[in-house]
This record gives sequence, structure tokens and C-alpha cells, in this order.
Amino acid sequence: MKRRILALLAVVALLGAACGSDDDTTESEPAATEAPAATEAPATTESMAEMATHVDIDAALAADLDNCVDAPSGDPIRVGMAMDFGEVSGFADIPGSQAVTHLADLINCIGGVGGRPVEVSVQDIQGDPEVTARATQDLLEFGAHFLIGPPFADFGQPVLQVTEGNIPVFFAASTEPSLPDVGANSFLVTFDDTRQASAAAEWALEQGHTRAITFSSPGPYFGYNPEIFTEVFEAGGGEVISDQNYVPIEDVDFSAQVNELAGIAQGDEVLYSAMLAFQVTALRSQLEAQGLAEITYLGTDAFEATGLLFAAPEESEGMVHTTHAFAEPGGRIDLLLQSYAGRHGEQLESGTFAGLYADSMLLGIQGMLDSGSDDPAEIGAAVAAIEGFAGFTGEMGYAGTNGIPDKPVSIHRVVGGVDTLVANWE
Amino acid sequence: MTELAQNVIDGLGRGSIYALLALGIAVIFGVMHLLNFAHGELITVSGYVAYWVFSAGLSWYWIAPLVVLVSVGTALAIEQVAFRWVRGAADFTMLLTSFGVHFVVQAVFFMYVSASVRNFDRPRWITNTFDVGPVTIEVFDVVVIAVTALTLAATAAVLQRTMFGLSLRAAAEDFDAARLMGVKSDRVIRGAFALSGVLAGIAAIFWLMRAGQTTPSAGITPMLKGVLAALIGGLGSLRGAVLGGLLLGLAEVLLRSRLPDGIAGLTDGVVFVLIALLFIFRPGGLITVSRAERV
Repeated sequence: MKRRILALLAVVALLGAACGSDDDTTESEPAATEAPAATEAPATTESMAEMATHVDIDAALAADLDNCVDAPSGDPIRVGMAMDFGEVSGFADIPGSQAVTHLADLINCIGGVGGRPVEVSVQDIQGDPEVTARATQDLLEFGAHFLIGPPFADFGQPVLQVTEGNIPVFFAASTEPSLPDVGANSFLVTFDDTRQASAAAEWALEQGHTRAITFSSPGPYFGYNPEIFTEVFEAGGGEVISDQNYVPIEDVDFSAQVNELAGIAQGDEVLYSAMLAFQVTALRSQLEAQGLAEITYLGTDAFEATGLLFAAPEESEGMVHTTHAFAEPGGRIDLLLQSYAGRHGEQLESGTFAGLYADSMLLGIQGMLDSGSDDPAEIGAAVAAIEGFAGFTGEMGYAGTNGIPDKPVSIHRVVGGVDTLVANWE
Repeated sequence: MTELAQNVIDGLGRGSIYALLALGIAVIFGVMHLLNFAHGELITVSGYVAYWVFSAGLSWYWIAPLVVLVSVGTALAIEQVAFRWVRGAADFTMLLTSFGVHFVVQAVFFMYVSASVRNFDRPRWITNTFDVGPVTIEVFDVVVIAVTALTLAATAAVLQRTMFGLSLRAAAEDFDAARLMGVKSDRVIRGAFALSGVLAGIAAIFWLMRAGQTTPSAGITPMLKGVLAALIGGLGSLRGAVLGGLLLGLAEVLLRSRLPDGIAGLTDGVVFVLIALLFIFRPGGLITVSRAERV
């Protein structure tokens, strides 16, 4: 009997530890930004009108957090973040939320936005649609003026179901074409997959490639990007000589596909996929061992997100990928990374995502400034009309779009182990 | 014909890794009736060790033996911390415990390391090839098959020719009778976990050499492959586990290569359909194990 009780306790303890607490925060998530004391008077359209016209990003980046001006005392600008810190989205949501809370601290340090502090609340959605819906509800009760959502549609849709279009939602790291919808107050901060795959195909054609190989897997990202690439590449006169199937995130042995390609490839094709970095480097090694050494490897933003630059130099050298920004030395992203590292003693894991999430917050604030209102519906309408917004990841706008920003696709090539800007594809 | 020969060698290489994983699962199942869903965590932990050792500037000559040691240590630690307390409990309790261990290990790496991919270099030789007539063979496949064969031979020798092996086989046959005959349960169970750790460690070396990366959930796929192979072979059968692993590897490679392009994405689905068909005709797997009910 004693053994059975112990067994039961062990199982309960293990499952309890595995599931975590029901609290909406975890120890690993960034702490919510502490807003200085708020005034009792609610913000009004009139008071918003007195505020600045934009956030002075460069002044914020220059802020010394040990020597801030007097704390802003206006009604807080509340930013809600529904973030997934699990493995599926943690690569983006962890550095992204850390960047946003740090940037909020910097903005508050220079006096906030027109005297109003920026207050950030981060909720961990735990990779679960139900928790996502609960977390979103909590953020609405927190009084968020706008939300920043997780990267993938599986969790983005539950956010939108709860918000019902009543409050702007920014998807900082999603390229999923099904998420943006101005009518539902839903905005991407990146280009979408259609755009990045088209840019890749157009770039390949411009480089003189006429033959391509794609690796795909049925489904939104891993299948959709190669599908669009094929459409654009063939419409431009190219030929996709083979589309090979693989299992995303899992396959690292491509022997079967490589054997088949050895019989049909010339070795100078462009190979396009939305594979993760460790997969495409494994594939490359196997293809090169078969003598197919001159292939140009072209991929999506997943290459960078999954650590292409940390792969062995001989495996990543020369690979080309689309991405969201180029973090040039001394540029805003670089300064944000330096500021974060200086304050927290550790590096943010991704500069590009840090920039995208920071832009999400700034776009929401811009909507508030442009509308002169705290009303989420008016903020959303103002966001939809934004033009020429210059944030961390380049100039963008939503005017005339359905929520996919009009911004260039950065195309990078790994040269000497470093990402190098090849083109900004308009 | 040439492509078929290449596929068979590729499949055997892949299947050899599955066989090592399945054998480790079968050893534990034989002794404890535990279908160990935490077996993949030995790969996860090994992956992070590989990453850290590699980051310290050491090569695979250091990583490989260290991975085996860490895998054994982790297997023993998991037994001591979790499974020791549920010995003799209902199979379902042990199954849940193994799920619990899986989630806890995964959560620890999420919380204290990173959710992001951690990369390390693959050895350069693993994609080298040589030709035998028209067939191009990867050196890696040959090494994996050879090492697996040696490991299986050594495992068979341990099980057949040592007192520990005799105890383990006796415990697998009828644990309670074995105890009554003087077999020390603690020793045999720890020995079984250590053996499964060795087998998982060797599988981890090859798995990680191919992958060149790890994440907190890196152990899920190898665990699933190992469990599937063990089920195909017949749970508890050591020979069946090896056979199941090899067949699973061959099926994956041959189907991916042979299925028409339009439906190649269904490879895994077709593999599962074949497994389902197998269980319709042989519910106990390829090699059925008769075993006394535990009391």
C-alpha cells in the first residue's frame, strides 16, 4: 500500500512539475515593465493630442537607465503580449518580449511617450490554444491598448477569437498569410510568405538561375513557400526540375532524396526550401558528397531563426536566405542589442526578432499618437492608415493593405560566417 | 537496381540506430513491464552535453565516449529519482511516470537553457562516400551498421554469458520467480537501466552526428522510433526489437524513394498503415513473447 501511495505521489509530482503552475507567468519570462505611478485622471482624446507625434527611438536607445529623467506620471500606455515561451515559438517570443520590455524601460527613462509611461504585461500562452484564449482575456482585463501576438496561426487565431477585432493585434514574427486582416484589427509586422517566396524566386531568376530544386512538405509554411517559389520561378521562365518531400524539423538523413537527385541534377541549380538550418546543412553535406557542389541554397527566414550562422562555416557559407532586417553595426537593432546586453549582462538571442517585436510596440503606440485616442477601435483605424513608419526593421506602412506591411524583403548571404546584405527586395 | 541497393544500405544504416533505441526500450520492458517514453531524454541530455563539450572546443573523439557515459548516468538517475518509486505498480502508473519524466526533462532545458536550437559541428567524414561498382555508399552507414552489429553481439554476450545477463533474462521471464531464486531486484533493474543507457548512448552518438543540433524536445523523435520498432518486433523481445528497428528504417527509406512524387509526403502515414496491418495479423508483433503474469 505504501508503495502504491508513493507511486501515486511520484506521478502526481512529475505531472505537476511537467504541467507547471496555473499562474500566467513563468520564471523564465521577462518581468513586466513596472510603470511609474499613474495619475488618476483617465486619458482623454484631448490629453493624447498634446502628446508627441512619434516615439523618439534614437533618444530612447541613447538612454542611460541609471540616470533617467523624472518618471512619467501620465496614464500608462498598456502593451499586452501573448507569448509562447515553448519550443515552437520561443526562438522568437523570448527575445522579442525581452526586447519590448527593455525598450519600454528605455522609453520610460526618457520621460515616456508625451509624459505617459509604457507598461508591458507579458503572458505565457504555454503553446496551448486554450491558455492562449485565457491569457488574451487577462491582457484585455489588464487594459491593454493593443496586443502583440505569437508567431503561428495555431495560437494567433485564438487571440483573434477573443479580441473579436475590438483591439489591434500585431503578429511580430509571423509570415502566415491567413492572420492579417484589417477588418479584424490584425496586422503582421513582417512581410508574408507569399512575398518572401516571391522575392526569393525573383532574386534567383535575376542571378541567372534557370533550374531549381525544391524541398517541401504539405502544409502552410514548409509547403506554401516552395509552392509560391515554384509559381513565380516558372512564371519567370525557370524550371523546377524536382520537388522532393521531407519531414520538417525531423529529417536529417536525406539519402533517399539525394540518391534520386544525383541522377537528375547538374549541380548548378538553386535549391529552395523552408527547411530549418540544421536540416539544410545536413542536406548540403550529403549533396556535396555526391558531387553536387555548385548548388545555390536559398531559404526562408527559418534559416536565420534556427541558427544558420551558428552552423559549421563550411556548411553555411554561401547560403542565401530571406529575412526581415539587416542588423548593421551601429544601426538601431545593434544599439538595442548593446543596450540590452549592457543592462542585463546577456545577449538577446535574435537581433532580427528583437527588432520586429520592438516595431510592433512602436506601431501600436504610433496608432495611439496618430488617433489621439485610447480607444482601441480608433487606434486600429489609425494603425491601418500608417505610412512611412521608420522603426527598427526598415520603413513600412499599412495604408492600402490588408494588414501585411508594405516593406522590403532583406536577402542575405552568409559570407565568411557573417550574414551579408545582398539585396533589399521591394 | 542500383538505387534499390543504395536504399537498402541507407535503410539498414537508419534502421541500425532504431534497433539500438528499440533494444534499450525492450530491455527495460522485459524487466519492469515499463514502456519507457522517457528513453528519448537520454538523447536530449546527450545532445546538450555534445553542444557544451563542442562549445568548449573539444572534438567528437571526446564527445562520443562522454555521451555514452552521460547517457548511462542519466538512465540510472531517472531510475533512482522516478521509476524506483513505482516498481511493481500498475503498468499504467509506470507509463504515466515515464511521460512525467519526459516532460520534466524537457521543461528543465526550456527553462534553464533555451527554447532555441543549439548547433554543433557534424564530423566531416559522415557524408564521405565510396563506390562499390555502381553503388555509392556513405561511410557513415557502414560505420553505423558495423558498430551496431558489434554492440548487439556484445549485448548478446553479456545476456548469454554473464551472471547479470542470466539474472536479467530470468527477471524478464518471471520477475517474482527470479527474486525467489535469489536474483537481487535492485541490481538487475539498475543493470537494465545501465544497459539501456549504453545502447541509447551509442545511438545518440550517431543520431547527433547526423543532426548537428539539439533542442529541449530533441528526444521525441528517437523515442517514437524506438518505441515503434520495439512494438513492431514484439514488446519485450530483444531479437524482435532489433528486427523491428531494421525493418522500420528500411520501410522509411524505401517508401520515400519508391512512392510517386505526388504522394511521397505520405511516407510516414504509409509506414503507420503497414504497422497497423502487421498488428491486425500479428497483434503481439513479429516475435511474440510468452511471459508469466506479474503478481
